[in-house]
Amino acid sequence: MSEARSTILTAIRTTLARRRGEQPAADEAAIAAEAKHLRARADATRPDRVSGRPDEAFLARLVSPAIAATAERVATLRDFPVAVRRYLGAHSLAASVAVQSHPDLLALDWSGIETHERIGVDEPVAVGLALGGIAETGTLIFHSSPTSPTLFAFLPVHHIVAVESGRIWSWLEDYADAFAGCPQPRNVNLVTGPSGTTDIEGTLVRGAHGPGWLHVVLVGGATSKPDLDARGATRAGA
Amino acid sequence: MSAHARPGGFDTRVQAALADPLLKLAIDRTTGTARTKRAAAVAAWPGFAAGRDLGRDIKDHVIDNLGHYLVEFERNALASGAKIHWARTGQEACDIVVAICRDAGARTVTRAKSMLGEEIGLPHALEVAGIERVETDLAEHIIQLAGDPPSHIVWPALHKTREQVAALFQSHHHDPGALASVEAMVASARRELRGRFLAADVGISGANFLIADTGAVCTVTNEGNAELTTTPPRVHIVTAGIEKLIPSTAHAMAMLRLLVRSATGAELTQYTTFHCGPKRPGDLDGPGEFHIVLVDGGRTRMLAEGLAEMLRCIRCSACLNHCVVYRQIGGHAYGGTYPGPMGSVLTPMLDGLAQSQDLPRACTLNGQCQEVCPVAIPLPTLLRGWRDRLWRDGLEPAPARLGLGLWRFLVLRPALYRLASGALIRMMPAFARGGWIARMPMAGGWTRHRDLPRPPSRTFIAQYRSRKPLP
Repeated sequence: MSEARSTILTAIRTTLARRRGEQPAADEAAIAAEAKHLRARADATRPDRVSGRPDEAFLARLVSPAIAATAERVATLRDFPVAVRRYLGAHSLAASVAVQSHPDLLALDWSGIETHERIGVDEPVAVGLALGGIAETGTLIFHSSPTSPTLFAFLPVHHIVAVESGRIWSWLEDYADAFAGCPQPRNVNLVTGPSGTTDIEGTLVRGAHGPGWLHVVLVGGATSKPDLDARGATRAGA
Repeated sequence: MSAHARPGGFDTRVQAALADPLLKLAIDRTTGTARTKRAAAVAAWPGFAAGRDLGRDIKDHVIDNLGHYLVEFERNALASGAKIHWARTGQEACDIVVAICRDAGARTVTRAKSMLGEEIGLPHALEVAGIERVETDLAEHIIQLAGDPPSHIVWPALHKTREQVAALFQSHHHDPGALASVEAMVASARRELRGRFLAADVGISGANFLIADTGAVCTVTNEGNAELTTTPPRVHIVTAGIEKLIPSTAHAMAMLRLLVRSATGAELTQYTTFHCGPKRPGDLDGPGEFHIVLVDGGRTRMLAEGLAEMLRCIRCSACLNHCVVYRQIGGHAYGGTYPGPMGSVLTPMLDGLAQSQDLPRACTLNGQCQEVCPVAIPLPTLLRGWRDRLWRDGLEPAPARLGLGLWRFLVLRPALYRLASGALIRMMPAFARGGWIARMPMAGGWTRHRDLPRPPSRTFIAQYRSRKPLP
């Protein structure tokens, strides 16, 4: 290992030194300063979609045809099981769900629904709690942990996810900045809509290996005008 | 040497591709959709041009400090519990992967699509080692069943029509069902691969980005197959080119905006995952071992030999989808791992210029590839660089050298040049029928596949001289 490592690093350093000519190599501080400058430039280039409240932009983006998730808003997390029951009924699904082993979810009143914490390979419905969301792209964020196993976002056919409205970041970089310097979880999973594929003739088909349906329940932060809550869950483009 | 060097010369492969009407149909269906969707995504982002400049500058910054970022990435990845391996060549990388699989007692590996894996010949190496390989990306699954190499870097099965895919699934899948629609084909592949994901001993993926300040590896997919490949098995192996580095997660976000729009026209793939180290205490899933193989495979030579700009490439495939040559001949005719404009720049470096000398020549230099490249790689300039090398190394065939010598002789003698071009322009209309020339002596190579336009009656210089000067 060490021989290949030193060969590669020496080749790089020799070439870079030749390319620089008389100029000295940049020190760590100079490299960091340039990287910081590049990061700052991103703010001026990003799409200007997100104006106003990020949670509202997030909801609008989620139900757009490009993402084709469904979404609704509830007042508190205590209303989540009600939303799940409504979803199961609307899709004529059996009242049996895998619940992500997060204490906030396990503490809820799931009466009327059979719940289990182990997820099956073809689990019909799984219920989860996202760490947050990103308005720009309608993306859910999951950090793997003992209370947030990775496969919950990938094995079920229907994935129903609660997310706090106060934890929606406007742009992709805002989320990255919020966790810069923090310990990196084993997996960060950014989930943007139900799974899909364009591998046969470029035709988009929903429901490849991951979930075929993604339903997001935004918790709290209701606005004065009744929005998606009143309309209920509508699958855009369907 | 590329894992997919195909028999026959470039000309033979091109003739075969042009003679295949289904191939043209298949290419048109996917690249047409890709171009339309990319155009819409770019139009909806007013900051695209500035974002593209930023993408180029981020990549150039990393390349200028590549040693620094490699060491930083290694330090952080090691701290996360990952094992880091360095490979000078594709062969070394394959040996490392096979050794890890053997140590793990692996009988079956699942694999998420990785062009680097194709480049280093990993499918072949696993086969030789007697390890069963299950491709999990739908397109890779299709070409594994067909026994084909990939023909595109984002849509490896682009050369297959839906009818051909249905026939493949019908004969290979255990429970194919009716397969009347693309949806039914996708569902059949899901059923077929479901059990394989959980039964694999090792999962192998590539990397879209290596994040220096966290030691994480970023993958992007739409199907969810990457995470199902990397999470259940006991061991996850990443193979990544050393040019994949990015300073931080925030910088990766700026690159993702460019990558996904340029590839599929979406704003973000359905699944963007940052993998960092093995399973943590208390985790309910995730691999017990996490290996990253950092592969040089000619990249340090590219840096040293004037191809540093090519190290910016993020493998989005926009240059393929917009290339008039790729759209006629498809990916297999190129003969290397990477087709299209980016492939014509990379293959001479990876496989040797003498073996792939036709690729830099098979280009109209129309500049479309550079225009759509999300990191502004000057692909036509790099291709001209290879043509220059061909000339200097004496690789141009004798007729081409003779023709260029003759042209040089004439062009340095303007009076003679005018005489010769005047004679040609007076002679050509004799072969024309209407406005086009379908056949002419010495022009068979051109007129076999298309007509020549009838030239105007006088040369440009003659017309220019007859014009009155502007007042």
